[in-house]
Amino acid sequence: MTLSLTTTAPEAEVARRQTPGEPTLTYQPHVDVCDTGSGLTIRADIPGASADSIDVAFEDGVLAVHAKVPARNLPARVLRQEYGIGDYRRSFRLGEGFDGAGISAEYRRGVLSIDVPRLAAVRPRKVAVRVANA
Amino acid sequence: MQTFRAGFALPLEELRDEMDRLWTSLTAAPPLHGWGTEQRTGVFPAVNMRDRDDAIVVEAELPGLDVGDIDINASADELTLKGRRPEPASQGGNGEAAEGDATKVTWLRRERGTGAFERRLSLPVAVDASRVEAQLVDGVLTVICPKAPESQPHKVTVRTAS
Repeated sequence: MTLSLTTTAPEAEVARRQTPGEPTLTYQPHVDVCDTGSGLTIRADIPGASADSIDVAFEDGVLAVHAKVPARNLPARVLRQEYGIGDYRRSFRLGEGFDGAGISAEYRRGVLSIDVPRLAAVRPRKVAVRVANA
Repeated sequence: MQTFRAGFALPLEELRDEMDRLWTSLTAAPPLHGWGTEQRTGVFPAVNMRDRDDAIVVEAELPGLDVGDIDINASADELTLKGRRPEPASQGGNGEAAEGDATKVTWLRRERGTGAFERRLSLPVAVDASRVEAQLVDGVLTVICPKAPESQPHKVTVRTAS
């Protein structure tokens, strides 16, 4: 079974500031997505967030992830700035056949893991072939 | 027939270009950020370095790693970060990808970087290597390198001449 998984274009407001006057950058996290047959497993690198600050929503076949990452810049002189710190946002168009109520997510060591189970009706089934008794 | 004077048309073109740029920034996807597969050797992990009065603070994003996976070595003027992140397939198999039959797993996207890394950073001032401390919280590594006494700022009190 093939699955069309596309990353949806984020809304125009993504680049906008979350709170007025407070600059917030938004990034897309790197993700691994694998199909286990019974569902999808998505892993996203979201360092510096917390389980409370991550929103995972599934609506109309689109799985959306938004993680708020608090600023952690020290009030000190910058010697090197090789990466920016900001929120993470990404969404995936999964399509039909997934069990929205069964989605579970876990955040550990800066990595968000999401399990998206397939609806039982569309899961691949293995049919055992019996030997007919003559 | 030229209807606009040159001095008049130019600002309009600039305005149009500016509108194009603005529109692009609003509609384009935000940049991918972090540990990607197209890792350039020698410059991973990216670090942010700050100069605090009493210490040099180095920060790097290393999601998925445990304290034991990172090797940090400090000398008076150099800091080395070393470690590796395993391939996802061998990442424990604790009910994630390899739930049932590992051969049935189909990868639809592989963007997260894996493998070994090593980065040497030269520190701008001498630090006390014996007191370097590191912590790894939610994938963010913070290394605090206290400055050696001779590189700490001294406050000179000015006395009033009597």
